[in-house]
Amino acid sequence: MNRPLSACREIRVHPSLSGEVRNFGKFGEVCYSCGTCTLTCDLTTDATPFPRRPVQFAVLGLKEPLLESLEPWLCHDCGDCSEKCPQQAGPRESMATLRRYLTAQYDWTGLSAKIFTSRGWAIGAPVFAGFLVVLLAAVYHILYAGMPIEEIVATSMGLEHMFGKITWFTLAVIFIPLAVLLSNAARMHRFTMGRGKAAGIPLSVYLSEAGVALRYAFTQDRIAKCPGESFKSRRVKHSALFAGGLLMFVLLAFFLRFFQTDAIHPIYHPQRWLGYIATVLLVYGSADILAGRIRKKEEIHKHSEFCDYSLPVLILASAATGIAVHVFRYSGLAFAAHYAYLVHLVVSVPILVVELPFGKLSHMAYRPLAVYLQAVKDKAVSLQVGEETREAA
Amino acid sequence: MIRLTVNKQNVEVEEGTKLLSAVEKTGAKVPTLCHHKALTPYGACRLCVVEVHAPGRPPSLHASCSYPALDGIDVLTDTDRVKRARRVVAELLLARCPDSEVIRRIAAEQGVTEPRIRSKNDDCVYCGLCVRMCEERMGRSAIGFSGRGPRKKLESPFGKHNEKCWTCGACNFVCPVGKKVSVLASGGVPIPILNEYNFNLDARPAVSILYPQAVPNKPVIDKETCLRLNHEVCGICEAVCEAKAIDYKKEDERVTLDIGAVILSPGFEPFDPRIKDELGYGRYPNVLTSLEFERILSASGPFSGKVQRPADRKVPERIAFIQCVGSRDNERDYCSSVCCMYATKEAIIAKEHAGEDLSCDIFFMDIRAYSKGFEAYFESAKKHGVNYIRCRVASIEEIPETKNLKIHYLTEDDRKVSREYDLVVLSVGMQPPKNVDGMAKTLGVELNEFHFCKTSVFHPVDSSRDGIYVAGPFTEPKDIPETVMQASASASKVLSLLHDVKGSLIRPKEYPPETDIEGQDPRVGVFVCHCGTNIAGVVNVPEVVEYARTLPGVVYAENNLYTCSNDAQERIKEKIREHRLNRILVASCTPRTHEPLFRNTIREAGLNSYLFEMANIRDQCSWVHMHEAGRATRKAKDLVRIADAKAVMLEPLQKGSVAVNKAALVIGGGLAGMTSALELAEQGFDVHLVERENELGGNLRRIRYLLNGENPREELKTLIGKLEGNARIRIHKGANIVSIGGSIGNFKTKITTGGEEKEFDHGVVIVATGAKEYKPEEYLYGRDERVMTQLELEERLTQEGARLLEGGKGRSKTVVMIQCVGSRDEKRPYCSRLCCPEAVKNALKIKELSPDTHVYVLYRDIRTYGFRESYYSKARRGGVAFVRFDETAKPEVLGNGDGLRVKVHDRILDMMLDIPADLVVLSAGTVPHEDGKAIAQLLKVPLNQDGFFLEAHMKLRPVDFATDGVFLCGLAHSPKSAEESIIQAGGASARAGGILSKDSLELEANISHVVDEQCDGCAYCVEPCPYQAVTLIEYAWLNGVKKTVDINESLCKGCGTCMATCPKGGVYIKGFKLEQIGAQIEAALQALP
Repeated sequence: MNRPLSACREIRVHPSLSGEVRNFGKFGEVCYSCGTCTLTCDLTTDATPFPRRPVQFAVLGLKEPLLESLEPWLCHDCGDCSEKCPQQAGPRESMATLRRYLTAQYDWTGLSAKIFTSRGWAIGAPVFAGFLVVLLAAVYHILYAGMPIEEIVATSMGLEHMFGKITWFTLAVIFIPLAVLLSNAARMHRFTMGRGKAAGIPLSVYLSEAGVALRYAFTQDRIAKCPGESFKSRRVKHSALFAGGLLMFVLLAFFLRFFQTDAIHPIYHPQRWLGYIATVLLVYGSADILAGRIRKKEEIHKHSEFCDYSLPVLILASAATGIAVHVFRYSGLAFAAHYAYLVHLVVSVPILVVELPFGKLSHMAYRPLAVYLQAVKDKAVSLQVGEETREAA
Repeated sequence: MIRLTVNKQNVEVEEGTKLLSAVEKTGAKVPTLCHHKALTPYGACRLCVVEVHAPGRPPSLHASCSYPALDGIDVLTDTDRVKRARRVVAELLLARCPDSEVIRRIAAEQGVTEPRIRSKNDDCVYCGLCVRMCEERMGRSAIGFSGRGPRKKLESPFGKHNEKCWTCGACNFVCPVGKKVSVLASGGVPIPILNEYNFNLDARPAVSILYPQAVPNKPVIDKETCLRLNHEVCGICEAVCEAKAIDYKKEDERVTLDIGAVILSPGFEPFDPRIKDELGYGRYPNVLTSLEFERILSASGPFSGKVQRPADRKVPERIAFIQCVGSRDNERDYCSSVCCMYATKEAIIAKEHAGEDLSCDIFFMDIRAYSKGFEAYFESAKKHGVNYIRCRVASIEEIPETKNLKIHYLTEDDRKVSREYDLVVLSVGMQPPKNVDGMAKTLGVELNEFHFCKTSVFHPVDSSRDGIYVAGPFTEPKDIPETVMQASASASKVLSLLHDVKGSLIRPKEYPPETDIEGQDPRVGVFVCHCGTNIAGVVNVPEVVEYARTLPGVVYAENNLYTCSNDAQERIKEKIREHRLNRILVASCTPRTHEPLFRNTIREAGLNSYLFEMANIRDQCSWVHMHEAGRATRKAKDLVRIADAKAVMLEPLQKGSVAVNKAALVIGGGLAGMTSALELAEQGFDVHLVERENELGGNLRRIRYLLNGENPREELKTLIGKLEGNARIRIHKGANIVSIGGSIGNFKTKITTGGEEKEFDHGVVIVATGAKEYKPEEYLYGRDERVMTQLELEERLTQEGARLLEGGKGRSKTVVMIQCVGSRDEKRPYCSRLCCPEAVKNALKIKELSPDTHVYVLYRDIRTYGFRESYYSKARRGGVAFVRFDETAKPEVLGNGDGLRVKVHDRILDMMLDIPADLVVLSAGTVPHEDGKAIAQLLKVPLNQDGFFLEAHMKLRPVDFATDGVFLCGLAHSPKSAEESIIQAGGASARAGGILSKDSLELEANISHVVDEQCDGCAYCVEPCPYQAVTLIEYAWLNGVKKTVDINESLCKGCGTCMATCPKGGVYIKGFKLEQIGAQIEAALQALP
């Protein structure tokens, strides 16, 4: 450290920060900054040291650097640091808490903060979303379609009647949250790349590193760097989960008419086999995570917050009701299928409108984005270093 | 009885004795090889041939080991015929085993270096020692000779490995040519018995002296491994012991004692690093514990003080020390207090032993150099080139090819680096003694949460059971001086408890009458000490001994491994008797530590104890000339010659004695002064307690609460109550000391109190003048009322409570504490020790009163040693933020606008933090009281460079001054906590009580003596005497008045100022006469031959 002190960055301290962060879950303030965590972590680099550095940001109240840091997203939760931590301060849990805190900071609506810090909101928001679905269906039939109550029951909650018009509702349910998520991702980009050296990185660098984001998203290659055999299989499971989720999302967003129909598709129809694949991947991935969290055997699953349970439970419930709809439909049990579909909507809509933009599911966007942005930063630094050496020469 | 002559000397031996014993009785030497005292004579090697002249028979040669001593024969051991015969034997032996070191030496003694016949290159000399050993002593017969003549062969029965051999190793041990006989017998080599004292780094026999300084310095038989005790075989030690001291029938004794009090000092157990698998201890041979390394560094250790790796004896080039192994983790939430300093010491010593090029890196989290002198030692280590790296090491990896070790660590700015080391030393922490729970249950004492003995701040040597006191690391990890203080403090408690029966078990030591040496010529005995390798590693000791033999008056000289050891004392006494020595000269270390021991030894041998002289060839020679062996040896000879010049002129001296006034003066009415006054009064002595202020209590009055929740106000009140209620204590408040005259046993002190002058006599003085909080000049202190010291904060927190911390309108306040204000800087380089625990205490108090208040502690090293560490953890858990700054970048406090702002550079993040603060609290250091200087002058005791009183010895005499009868405790000694002040006060009272218990004291004999005939009363010497021991007197003499001077023997320290001022030789110091010193100077100027 030969740099003069006057050259180092001056940061205004927000003493209340650590208290705020602590609202988002377990946070190891007992940390005495020994660095064992960073030392044991195989994912850290000299440019992005963690967990000690981001944890210290929060402990000391350095809000700006914390918002700027991508490090919490670069951690894959192996939990080696928590095992080795001489104070049992749980650096892994601290990093997870920082991710929740950052998710809330990226979210301009403020809903995310409520969901992560209050059990009431965490349960209430999805329940409310589910309730809205039922209410919407009822209101549609009574006010818009003018059906008498007894007919609603006779037409299985009126869904049958509604099918033609439900497309717009469903698309809204898919695309509005997606828009919110994208706007939050844009904020994340602004926080992390908006100032300092990262601010002026040219578009060409962004384009040249696009492959990193894709490769990470689909292969989860960073997880493989975590130690232990379980992380080899975890990488596969998590990739499957991501692929399943994305596939299902694409199917629903762009090929909704294949689903919202009473038509019977032949087995080779893409709706059927693509849907099966997505379902299998989702059920396998979620069930595995949920089982792990209940068993609490590995360090990664030892300490779980509410959102860590609620997401896989919702996905499994959604899959179960989806499968039920499918089975009823193909067995010709139309009424049952339609009721099941209502339940399916009640369970699935909260995933899309709550979990995806505001809840834990948002990490599906933030993590690859963080890996991508870090790659962009690294690339920019290497280019700059190259330029400097050329100039020096 | 059989009578014969050996070399014309008459000898008488018992019937059945062999010739060899008869010969040895006369002191004549006969070479042997196949002979062994514990085995039957064999007569195989014929090396011990002697010429026997029997009446009426021609002279013949016989092996003396097996030939019987016969009545009337004459034996010659050194004739030409004998020599010729031995030479032939030696030649044959050498031809058989030319590679054996032992055989070469035996041959060389007989003048044979090359045999004239062809070498056999055998690995056996057919002495039969192993065969006899196995059969006679072990009863196994697992090895024997087969064949005859040229076909004779050492082998096991039928040439096969056999189960008769139990691989005891006696055969290997006894073989003169180093053959591994056991391999022949059973294919195995014995497993060595590991030496526990050297942490199993080397081996020891089943009967051994456990370590060189063992008390008593006698060998003991290891019951676990001794073959005699376990299998009724062997018994060699009994056979060879000349003193017949071996008794295998001795049983353990069960002793019942009636006692009035118990002092528990079971010590500690070093942490076993095997538990921390990631550090590789037990798996990697070059990962050692600090205690193992300590033994390696020791002159009496396994490698005689050479820095070597245990496995391959390679001299390391890079050593890493890893701190906090078994300390400061979540399972052991305490600091072991001593490891930072011992690692520093070991690094410095390792560099001294192995050379400056040895690189020593110490991996640490916070350097805890908190005690007196520690910070300066730490700074000097850095100057020595010891490298400190601030990182907790997570794991160690071995490089299999070199067995070197790789350490990955994190630099302070978060970069991962790795370095390779030859040796890694784990600084293991202190744990409670083994089986502590069972012991506590047996003794009925309570343990604390860490399983150390439970004590309290105000009763630090009391266990939970009455009459059981505790000392040492059993109560909390601590270092030597604090252990010594606490040991004395618990002794003081016992002195109080048992003061009715004090001294009833003492048996005065009895000495033989003094030998009168009047008129005898000097017969000097010289004993030169190796001091392990301390001296012998540099100085050629045998050469010095040889030289000493040539000096005037010297009739005997020898060298000893440790001249101070118990057996050496016996040897000195034996030599005094044997050679009728009347002066003893020991060339070893310093008289300051060892002169009393040797004086006692020669007194026990009947010599006047002043017939002793010492040459310091360690501190003044081998230590300072470590790298110039040749010149150091010359200097050692010079020093011995100079000492001898005086030794031959030594005269017997007698000590006077003085009565002891059984009262004490305690200066200072703070916690330490009050405690020592009370303890002395409880021991049964009168005490004058002098306090400059009008109220007792000192700094304790400003302490409102303690870390562990105890209430100091209550304790203070109780203590003052006890003092005021004790009839033996006279309290002088608002008092000034005018003068302190006299010396140990008889002091006279004048004080003024309330305009009145008082004078009283006392036998001892305890200095407890205290210290005070530093008044900061930095960080806006005194210019902004929101900046205060820790003690001021403590007072305001007590008075205003949570009001001080209310931010209003839902806003939380922020308190920033800055450590090391007025400590560890250029002006006051020492650590004030109290401030880290104090800051943690106040931070916790703030969080207790107002959990929403934000607290930042800016520190350089957090020094919450011992159990204070758990409160540091508690503070962090409670959300107190700790920011480390470097001494080169101190924080800045800015006071513009409404709020204060503190700027501090965080080293890990490399960012300048700008903290908005409502209160800034300065952890101001502890500075000595200005009165200290005056008291120091009155008592003629020294202060150190920091202005604190300087004790007699930093480690071993922490409450004594070099001046007898004056003791020290409390903050006047160095910054310390209430608990530590109480301990030191107790220690001082025990030491003072030791003097007050005596009715009279022996005086030094080396004091001033007036030669009345030569003194004309000029009184030149009266004024310069620093001890006011000289007075001018007149007496009637030959019808006139004779003027002369008189010496007060109890005041005189023998400094010699009077002698130096006297122009007429009218006064001298006994033992330092002008002629004695003159002879030494002359000897010093003599050139070595």
